[in-house]
Amino acid sequence: MKTDNKMMSLFKTDAGRSFLDIAVIGAGFLALLPILGINRTTDFMIFCVFVLGFNILYGFMGRLSFGHMLYLGTGAYAITLFSEHVSQNPLLAILAGICAGALIGVILGPIIVRTTGACFALINLAFDQVGYFLVLVAFSKYTGGEDGMSVYFSKMGFLDFGQKPVMFGFTLLCLLLTYYLLKKFTSSPYGILIKSIKENETRVKFLGYNTFNYKWITFIISTTIAAFAGALSILNYGYVTPSFIDPSRAVEVIFAALIGGSGSLYGAIIGGVIYMAISNYLASYISRWEMFLGIALLICVFRFRSGIWGFVVDKLKILDQPKERIS
Amino acid sequence: MTQEQPIIETKGATINFNGLVAVDSVNFTMKEGEAIGVIGPNGAGKTTFFNLLTGLFFPTRGKIFFFGRDITAVPPHKRVMMGIVRTFQLVSVFDTLPVIDNLILSTHRISGNQESRGKFFFSDAHHHQMEARCLDALKLMGIENKADIMTAELSYGDKRKLELAVALSLNPKILLLDEPFAGLSDMEICEVSRIIAEVKKKFSFVIIEHKISHIIDLVERLCVMHEGKLIAEGPPSEVLCDPLVREVYWGKEEGLTCSV
Repeated sequence: MKTDNKMMSLFKTDAGRSFLDIAVIGAGFLALLPILGINRTTDFMIFCVFVLGFNILYGFMGRLSFGHMLYLGTGAYAITLFSEHVSQNPLLAILAGICAGALIGVILGPIIVRTTGACFALINLAFDQVGYFLVLVAFSKYTGGEDGMSVYFSKMGFLDFGQKPVMFGFTLLCLLLTYYLLKKFTSSPYGILIKSIKENETRVKFLGYNTFNYKWITFIISTTIAAFAGALSILNYGYVTPSFIDPSRAVEVIFAALIGGSGSLYGAIIGGVIYMAISNYLASYISRWEMFLGIALLICVFRFRSGIWGFVVDKLKILDQPKERIS
Repeated sequence: MTQEQPIIETKGATINFNGLVAVDSVNFTMKEGEAIGVIGPNGAGKTTFFNLLTGLFFPTRGKIFFFGRDITAVPPHKRVMMGIVRTFQLVSVFDTLPVIDNLILSTHRISGNQESRGKFFFSDAHHHQMEARCLDALKLMGIENKADIMTAELSYGDKRKLELAVALSLNPKILLLDEPFAGLSDMEICEVSRIIAEVKKKFSFVIIEHKISHIIDLVERLCVMHEGKLIAEGPPSEVLCDPLVREVYWGKEEGLTCSV
């Protein structure tokens, strides 16, 4: 009984909660492994990383982007070009993808984060269109254009990403790392700041914060994680095509964030898994599966305003119980 | 020349919204430690004047000085760090956050120095030290028992107190209160008024109000605005007897005699 209490109080601390979350997510994907098979589970996890990156911008800061495929694509093409021209070391290549994502965030951020609402959504889409054109036409000599290109990575001792279990383990590690970092960010004063910006940006300025800088930082975090997901996908598939940067696929991540519940990290992961499940399995039974996705979204909008995870939390009110205060 | 630098000063501050001159050549000075009330009918430009002082809008013409320093083009967040703190007419707290989280940003901003940059991103927002400081701020307002509920569930009066607590936690040198009594019940007005009276010795403050009776005991000087212009200023008793002010407030009436 006593150790029980100790365990409980450990999980109430910040570090304890993060540890518990990571254990739950890790166990969840390991449980999905026999159901989905290793390829799909890896796919699912990569998509979840992408949703997490998108969600920090949309769910937490309230900025909806219609062009997040650009940042995924940046990572995808950066890792491709790096392995083609610089080094086939997979870890360095992933690092290159991440840096490219951060760089595009740094460059485009000052233009994009000035805007809000529809303007923000569309300016992202506009940049995505430009990126799509660059990859498909302008630089097709380097990117392989419409056909895309194969990517090769060298083996690093036991780290052979061509082997599925290695890729699975590595992706799971990456997902947990992303989750941990975002958890850290969102439970810090910075997390409160971006939630406050979502609600009333003017008020935040009058608390002495230069909101522009923090919006920019959030944007960079988001593009970096998206590019990370892009780089992981290429590592997984070994092949890049323009579909990784295709603006028309931007809805996928938006749907996933909405279904799971924006504004929470768990929600993003649940949304990612559900979206991928619908698009993977429904598609093999019904050719026009998108209709059912639309219906699912309608149900979400009317019945589960805060997404599936938000609904669960509301119903249970267990995980968010106010902690006891020592006065 | 006076030796004492005015805490805040405007020279010919004017703002023109596409032809509508909301604030018209206002010259305003305020000594440190003073308590000033700004009154005037609806649409007189009181709030816009506040927006100029705090940097939400920048004047079309004229200059604003803070301790003699020209702050006309300084953005709002920097003015806050200098000590110009405001509240809003429509109470503005973060409804989607728990009550205590409303105070974390301002508390962190004031206590945070350069080394704590990393802390801002990585530390737990609710660590003990921080929570204790936030709770102290709430205690001053008498709402510390509501620290953990969602802000949306607070009554309007409590939200007002919370906003005041946030403003005070920013260590103001000058506090600008925009209609702090609007929408409050009589009892809440008494409470808020008492809180203001308690803290007003610590810094200068300017308070906007419609109802003169609410602030007459709190302020030493009244400024009356009408159609964007500052039409009268001085001690309350003097200002309220000013014929122009009486005309603006009560219209032209012969029968009224000055009784203040």
